[in-house]
Amino acid sequence: MNSFNRRNFIKAAIAAAPASAFLTLPQTAHAGKKASVVVVGGGYGGATAAKYLKLMDPALDVTLVERNPIYTSCPLSNEVISGHGKIEDLQIGYDGLKKRGINVLFDDATGIDAAKKTVSLKGGKTLNYDALVVSPGVDFNYTAVEGYSEALANSSHPHAWKAGAQTLALKKKLEGMQDGQTFVLSVPKGPFRCPPGPYERASQVASYFKHHGMNKCKVIIADANDSFSKKGLFEQAWARQYPGMIEWVSGANGGQVVKFDAASNTASSDFNAYKGDVVNIIPPHHAGAIAKHAGLTNDKGWCPVDMLTMESTLHKDVYVVGDACVHGDLPVYAAPKSAHSAATQAKVAVGAIIAKLHGLPAPEPFFVNTCYSITAPGWGFSVVHVYRVKDGKLVYIKEAGGISPVKMASEEQLVLQRKLEAEYAIGWLKNIMADAFA
Amino acid sequence: MKLKQSVLLLAVLGLAVGAAYASDPKIEALARSCNSCHGLNGVSAGPSMPSIGGQSEAYLKNIMLQWKSGKRYSATMGRHFKGYSDEELAGLAAYFSQLPWTPVVQHADAKVLAHGKEATDRCETCHGATGGKPDDAETPRLNGQWAHYLALELEKYRNGEVAMTHKKMRKNAQKLEAADVPAVAHFYAAQPE
Ligand SMILES: Cc1cc2nc3c(=O)[nH]c(=O)nc-3n(C[C@H](O)[C@H](O)[C@H](O)COP(=O)(O)OP(=O)(O)OC[C@H]3O[C@@H](n4cnc5c(N)ncnc54)[C@H](O)[C@@H]3O)c2cc1C
Ligand code: HEC
Ligand code: HEC
Repeated sequence: MNSFNRRNFIKAAIAAAPASAFLTLPQTAHAGKKASVVVVGGGYGGATAAKYLKLMDPALDVTLVERNPIYTSCPLSNEVISGHGKIEDLQIGYDGLKKRGINVLFDDATGIDAAKKTVSLKGGKTLNYDALVVSPGVDFNYTAVEGYSEALANSSHPHAWKAGAQTLALKKKLEGMQDGQTFVLSVPKGPFRCPPGPYERASQVASYFKHHGMNKCKVIIADANDSFSKKGLFEQAWARQYPGMIEWVSGANGGQVVKFDAASNTASSDFNAYKGDVVNIIPPHHAGAIAKHAGLTNDKGWCPVDMLTMESTLHKDVYVVGDACVHGDLPVYAAPKSAHSAATQAKVAVGAIIAKLHGLPAPEPFFVNTCYSITAPGWGFSVVHVYRVKDGKLVYIKEAGGISPVKMASEEQLVLQRKLEAEYAIGWLKNIMADAFA
Repeated sequence: MKLKQSVLLLAVLGLAVGAAYASDPKIEALARSCNSCHGLNGVSAGPSMPSIGGQSEAYLKNIMLQWKSGKRYSATMGRHFKGYSDEELAGLAAYFSQLPWTPVVQHADAKVLAHGKEATDRCETCHGATGGKPDDAETPRLNGQWAHYLALELEKYRNGEVAMTHKKMRKNAQKLEAADVPAVAHFYAAQPE
């Protein structure tokens, strides 16, 4: 991975600062007092929402509540585990948002009263809002895998599905492995954040093995699902880069892990036992705890929203974006839980909120997503989703989007295509981070 | 005042219809989605991704339509544009062309710059001495564009196998030595204007 050029990054961000592209509203038509919007969660969804609220309507009073002063990006964190990237390049604070006039509170939101329109914080404060954006990401259902627990995740058996300390802990475990050993990765039933993420992780682990000449190592993916995102692209990459090293076991073949024994490092499904030298269990997840607490979740643990505005269908004036929401009931093409989806959803919610505060109908939304994956240095690919509104409904545009070509006319073209997308993945990350936080 | 305010509001929210492209709010709403990869106001913060704000309308429109039709090769972009109407692409071209071109000046070794300057002799007629004064509207600005992006783009033009439509540009790129490519990229990236 190219190392992050902080100076250029900051320069570019500053150059972009005047936001001359945005018409500014003279004032918010809200009975003389400034309208307030509170945002809970300062990840990709929440930070983007806070920034664009202020950009598009500078008169708004915008408060962002986030529990951590430093955010660590999950995208490209698999590359940190393999040693191809550095965690510092994935970390960013909230000074950029503060400079834009956003009130940033480092606190934990502990309660939302949708009737009184208040958010209460662990530190004791209560915030009033006219509109609320909730983007708390995910929390994990540890009981789904008997024997696994939050305590294990935070000590000997990191899942590293939230980037940060666990990312480094898993990297360390990988670095302790020896040739001939086995890495077991257990994938929960979907939906989970970052559909291609587990398969990218398996690739990065294999990349570490290969890079260190540990060619007798194995990666076993015990998967609760029967297929996966960009499967053809991953399998092509594995055959070329890591022949025989990565084994994928589908749910139908007994891949769904339901039990874990930490003492023997064995994950088991109802049919098989997977003993590893390192076992990485990704537990199933649901919307971040605050969403459930606030009554924003359905029986599956995710937040249903109006697809065109991102407003909760359970509570008025509360907008849920990012991983926590289930964006529509499109059976095959529901918006994937990605940073890119979270950012687009945030921008749509912002448009709808500002319109509503001014007594106007919501503008027509537009959604786009791109997920890049890197299987080895210089080998990347992507999936693109474009959603448009047709006849009042959100539809997936089949003619657009899709995955990178699996086959191309020549080897030379294929190698160029994969190289370009590996580079673009890194450029994408810098931009989407800057677009949310700078 | 009241009227002006509500017109502004409609504009920001993408509700006004029939406005000129320059201020078409629906186009602005689409343009906000580009920021995830191209940066706010089309000023990229990622070295492999191009800045697009301030390129000429003709250049932008031309390549976006070529990507949509599949005539021109891209690694990612073409798949996006199949989801836009021709009018929207034209609107986006007009929108981004009206933003200021904001060079992100990147410093490089004097030796590299000297090498780059020499190797760009033949490029000058079309791109100007520093890449900042293209001789026509079909030619993009190169000054202060990200060096990494420029080098990758030159690789596309040099690769005989992918569909890059501009024959003369392709020929010129192919005349460079492999070692010239990074030098040329750094040279243009270092130019403020
Ligand atoms: C290994 C991995 C790789 C990935 N790769 C990609 C990729 O390449 N591309 C891509 O698009 N996506 C990728 N993703 C997915 C991406 O990380 C998520 O989709 C994205 O972070 C979602 O944003 P969010 O705002 O919903 O949640 P988050 O980014 O998780 O942010 C939630 C924030 O809310 C805060 N919070 C939660 N509850 C509270 C509370 N009660 N009070 C205060 N603060 C609170 C948290 O501290 C956190 O900062 C990847 C994920 C993983 C795990
Ligand atoms: C997922 C990231 C992504 C998004 C979102 C995106 N682009 Fe791009 N863009 C790219 C990449 C990558 C390239 C390089 C071309 C390629 O795909 O090979 C590019 C290139 C371009 C270029 C060519 C620049 C040059 O100097 O030749 C233009 C113009 C452009 N994009 C316009 C847009 C517009 C307009 C939007 C929004 C409607 C947009 N892009 C959204 C990734 C993106
Ligand atoms: C005959 C005129 C001409 C000459 C000479 C020329 N170019 Fe170009 N260049 C163009 C045009 C026109 C384009 C846009 C082409 C297209 O649409 O594909 C372009 C595009 C480019 C791009 C892509 C920029 C982007 O934003 O994607 C780079 C880089 C570039 N030229 C570098 C060079 C270099 C280096 C040379 C000299 C070795 C050179 N050009 C010589 C006309 C020229």
